Amino acid sequence: MSTGREILRTEGLWKQYGAVTAVADMHLRVYEREVFSFLGPNGAGKSTTVGMILGLVRPTKGRVLVFDTDVATHPWPVLKRVGAVIETPAFYPYLSAYDNLKTLTIALQDVPKGRIEQMLELVGLQERGRDPYKTYSLGMKQRLGIASTLLRNPDLIILDEPTNGLDPAGTREIRELIPRLAREGHSVFLCSHLLHEVQAVSDRIAIVKQGRLVQEGTVEELLGRAEYLRLRADDTDALRRALGAIPWVTGVASMDGCLRVAAPTARAAELNGVLAAQGVLLSELAPWEMELESVFLELTGEETAQ
Amino acid sequence: MIPLIETEFFKLRKRMMTWVVALILVGLVVLLYSVLWSASSRVEHFGEGRQFTGIDLRQALFLPGAVPYALQIVGTFGAILAIILAAGSIGSEYAWGTVRLMATVSSGRMKLILAKLTVVFALTAVGTLLAIAAALTYSLIIALYYGDASGSFLTATFFRDQSAAYGRTLLVLTPYMTLAFAVAVLGRSTLAGVGTGMGVAFAEPLIDALMRTAGSPWKNIPDYFLNTNRQIILLQNKVPEVLPRLGGGGGADSAVHSPLVAGLILVGYAVAFIAVALVLYRRRDIGSSQ
Repeated sequence: MSTGREILRTEGLWKQYGAVTAVADMHLRVYEREVFSFLGPNGAGKSTTVGMILGLVRPTKGRVLVFDTDVATHPWPVLKRVGAVIETPAFYPYLSAYDNLKTLTIALQDVPKGRIEQMLELVGLQERGRDPYKTYSLGMKQRLGIASTLLRNPDLIILDEPTNGLDPAGTREIRELIPRLAREGHSVFLCSHLLHEVQAVSDRIAIVKQGRLVQEGTVEELLGRAEYLRLRADDTDALRRALGAIPWVTGVASMDGCLRVAAPTARAAELNGVLAAQGVLLSELAPWEMELESVFLELTGEETAQ
Repeated sequence: MIPLIETEFFKLRKRMMTWVVALILVGLVVLLYSVLWSASSRVEHFGEGRQFTGIDLRQALFLPGAVPYALQIVGTFGAILAIILAAGSIGSEYAWGTVRLMATVSSGRMKLILAKLTVVFALTAVGTLLAIAAALTYSLIIALYYGDASGSFLTATFFRDQSAAYGRTLLVLTPYMTLAFAVAVLGRSTLAGVGTGMGVAFAEPLIDALMRTAGSPWKNIPDYFLNTNRQIILLQNKVPEVLPRLGGGGGADSAVHSPLVAGLILVGYAVAFIAVALVLYRRRDIGSSQ
């Protein structure tokens, strides 16, 4: 868990579009040098929240403080220190990658000379850097988006689906790049659908559903929020019946040919004894390794990961 | 705001549309001069009282008349091109989604809009100079062809008059430009800006004629139309009488306003359109679909 200085804080953030509440009472904290992942199904309010963080969307209520500065009243001191790609990267189609980045360097002014070439090399676009953006594949557009984000060497990097459209090699590069950025002193605010990627790179995670924050914590905290055991027996029906009679077993579900049992892992031996006493012999008893995807699905009630 | 002006200039300079618009403007000047030159050797007498001859027409195409006539062309047809340039400069940002990108690298939303308008105005000014250069070149060619090239007209008065004419031409283009820009912001699209700008440019003379025919209380409304006031201003550019007048509008002929009042009306429109663009862009969310 990060112990760094708080660099982003949302205080009771609301966004209302008529009768529709896109974001409701959102309280988020992002700390220095951490990778913070922001997860939620489609339409959960992730992009609206990011829009409010960047000052693009005006909150109905609440405020966003980035580097202790209110984004709504003083956007430029914040934006100067933030690099962001929101959803699909968007650039000028008639300009090359080089000229698109040059457009940004002219506007930003304080980008060091040679930085464009350095960024194009970092994202592997140096060979196609002079070709028009409109000729790029989705993966190349995504790479340019990442290059533009890093161009100004920002303190806070916001990446919305950075691996979208990338091939496996590109995805791996980004997966390696994100923790490296945090190690180099950047804070990363990551929105992604690839939950196993998020689990691998994140320090802390927030999960939103219907505009509301439903869980926030370190990866360990989220994965450890419920304890499960993996149980297998020759007679599954008998096992189910026996488990149903144990008061401290709070849930049983069939998964992957075995049973996932909600029970304290510390009582595994006791559980084995109780079942054996009832004539149910286990062929497998082990702690259930929770994955972020399972937690996500449980918290959001989604059938499929978003 | 200077970095944003530089950015906008860089983007528009690299954009094909800018050069196409400039080429069309120069092509229009060349085409009109070619038609008039050709006509000058075919017609004997023309005009309402048949008071002009082909030779009069040809001489009007010589150098002293080139600048005001080029400005007349720009003031009339250039408005359409300025509309396209202005609407495209902001409307395309919405179409490409780059409006979000620019909003995150700009030192302020109002500054961004003002930078865009400044660059569109500057490019329109440069385009107008290009049209003048094309007209001057063509004029020189005609004058040399007939062995009548003379620089005697290049006096301080000539330069002063032509500078004023240049300023007047830019003034009449500005409300159309800002209207197209404001509507492109409002509709978040180039098409909205171009459609409205063109609609106003083409429909106003027709509505003007209808309203004046309809009598009171309608007949005075067109006095405040863009086209009426544009024509009043353009009439000050002293185009040789023999050359055909471009554009039109009943109000201009009846000289309902002094040029000063007409100028103030046009400035008023431009300021109002800029204000609309600024307020809309500043207050509205730049969401995921924009």
